[in-house]
Amino acid sequence: MSDITKTGFLNSAELREAGRYPSEERLAKGPTAVIECCQNIPCNPCETACRFGAITVGDPITNLPVLDESKCVGCGVCITKCPGLAIFVVDKSKDMATVSFPFEYLPLPEKGDTVKAVDRAGQYVCDARVLRVNNAPANDSTPIVTIEVPKELSDDIRSIRRLNLSEEDEKAELLKIDDWSAVPDDLVVCRCEEVTAGDIKKAIAEGAATVEGIKKRTRAGMGLCQGRTCSKLVSRILGSQTGMKADEIKPDTARMPIKPVSFGVYKE
Amino acid sequence: MEKREILIIGAGPAGLAASIEAARTGAEVLLVDENDTPGGQLFKQIHKFFGSAKHKAGTRGIHIGQQLLEQTKEAGVEFWLNTTAVGVVGDRQVALVRKNEDGISETIVVEAEKILVACGGAENAVNFDGWTLPGVMGAGAAQTMVNVRRVLPGRKILMVGSGNVGLIVSYQLMQAGADVVGIVEAAPKIGGYCVHAGKIRRAGVPVYLSHTVLHADAGEGSEEVSSAVIVQLDERFQPIEGTEKRIDCDTICIATGLRPQIKLSTLLGVKNGFIPELGGWMPIHDENMETNVKGVFAAGDTAGVEEASTAMDEGRMAGVSMAYDLGYLTEEEAAERKQEIAERLKALRLGPFGERRQNAKDRIVAEGKKHE
Repeated sequence: MSDITKTGFLNSAELREAGRYPSEERLAKGPTAVIECCQNIPCNPCETACRFGAITVGDPITNLPVLDESKCVGCGVCITKCPGLAIFVVDKSKDMATVSFPFEYLPLPEKGDTVKAVDRAGQYVCDARVLRVNNAPANDSTPIVTIEVPKELSDDIRSIRRLNLSEEDEKAELLKIDDWSAVPDDLVVCRCEEVTAGDIKKAIAEGAATVEGIKKRTRAGMGLCQGRTCSKLVSRILGSQTGMKADEIKPDTARMPIKPVSFGVYKE
Repeated sequence: MEKREILIIGAGPAGLAASIEAARTGAEVLLVDENDTPGGQLFKQIHKFFGSAKHKAGTRGIHIGQQLLEQTKEAGVEFWLNTTAVGVVGDRQVALVRKNEDGISETIVVEAEKILVACGGAENAVNFDGWTLPGVMGAGAAQTMVNVRRVLPGRKILMVGSGNVGLIVSYQLMQAGADVVGIVEAAPKIGGYCVHAGKIRRAGVPVYLSHTVLHADAGEGSEEVSSAVIVQLDERFQPIEGTEKRIDCDTICIATGLRPQIKLSTLLGVKNGFIPELGGWMPIHDENMETNVKGVFAAGDTAGVEEASTAMDEGRMAGVSMAYDLGYLTEEEAAERKQEIAERLKALRLGPFGERRQNAKDRIVAEGKKHE
């Protein structure tokens, strides 16, 4: 089985292998929910949403949802309730299968449109016809799009290509180049005070062993943002130059005012 | 100088929830926020939240925020927007700079019996060559642009970081009409929830694991980002020569984690502990969210970076604790309410993702107890 933390999803064969895909018999009878929730996150709106009692999460709330396929009627209410958009409805009861999926992108397709069906990795699979677009108020702005696809592809098709993508975007490709260069010393680290990586390394070489010490020597962190952007970067450079561990590098001293204020407020 | 029973700094999910809990008991609560609109990051969250019905799961963050805002009004919370906490001038005396309706700022010192610091986290930067070019921004900034200000930061976005922030903001940028040309992740695995990753994978976004941005470049005659060069990393996170790829993009979003904003709590005398899982240095505190300084509390991302749902419940815990300490709740009432909130927090920290955070929280609370 592929590692979901590398791909972001399990494919249909892997879901079947894990016992997390409805049976072919059930799919052949009519629409059924396919719950592709594969990590134990604390979440159960699918269970609450199903009025047929077909989805069980139970206690603890991190259990994976279990579908009772005999109780599921394929109504699709769970599709819009899943915060992870990980529930689909597949129907293989007719000559052509249908796949219903959440689609939160504008523009929405319309009934009868021909769209490009894609798999879980966003790869084009085939053209498909849109049968329904359900954007009822109860969906809370999570429209359900239902498309018609060949049965043998219905386990892999999970969405459609967004309609605002141009052809050019589809061909975006990577260019191989070889202009390797290390982070240069003239790289600005503290943007407010324009302190470079070289300035910081020099301060460390001269004996600065704390973020505070670097601040005193270089002014890094003394500008408008008061170190909000650069203090972490300065800590990292200090760590990499000295071998100090992150928990040995103390934050710089907090001083009033912690946010920049105009001189005017001091007038009283 | 003004006096209040409770001063809450930061009107994000933690501060809002705390103010409601405390004000409902009859306590006098002043809630301040430096922005011109309340809600912190909560009102930028247009996606549906995880959790159970008790956590309002399945509801979009922005709608949860609007409900909280209504409740602050019903509970009688005093609200100061455009008000920045800039320092501490005495025992439990916080200096605030408040901009009035005419745009004129004045300093007001507020002395409070209880102070809750809920001023959130700050995004971590990464400094590759070219990171100062226009077009490189924090993912949080990009999210504010599309979801609050309704401005598209760019058309072709390269996201750096595959934690939940990187994944969710990528999704929302696509919803706003941009294309995400890739997600670059230094670790060999996706950091966030795979259901979030699944959404952006179906949209065709490649995820470059074990990669980092080498440099960002401006195009010919331009001073803005027009491409980035990414490179593969070996097991020791060192770039592998010869694996460079150039990716066309006009925007690079940085989502490489957050850290607690600890300056105000530190000025209040709060000690910090180092908990890498929750963003590094953070105020040590007990189960009631009270720090080593009696009467000073911390909640939400300030008390360790987690998510909005945990921030709200930590805020509630602090709110109940402050109200109880002030005598607005009986021991039984407080114990019952605290138990309820503690159970909800525990539920949010279950599972392989949550356990790490629960374990980290346990460590900081153990540290906090030492100082009691």
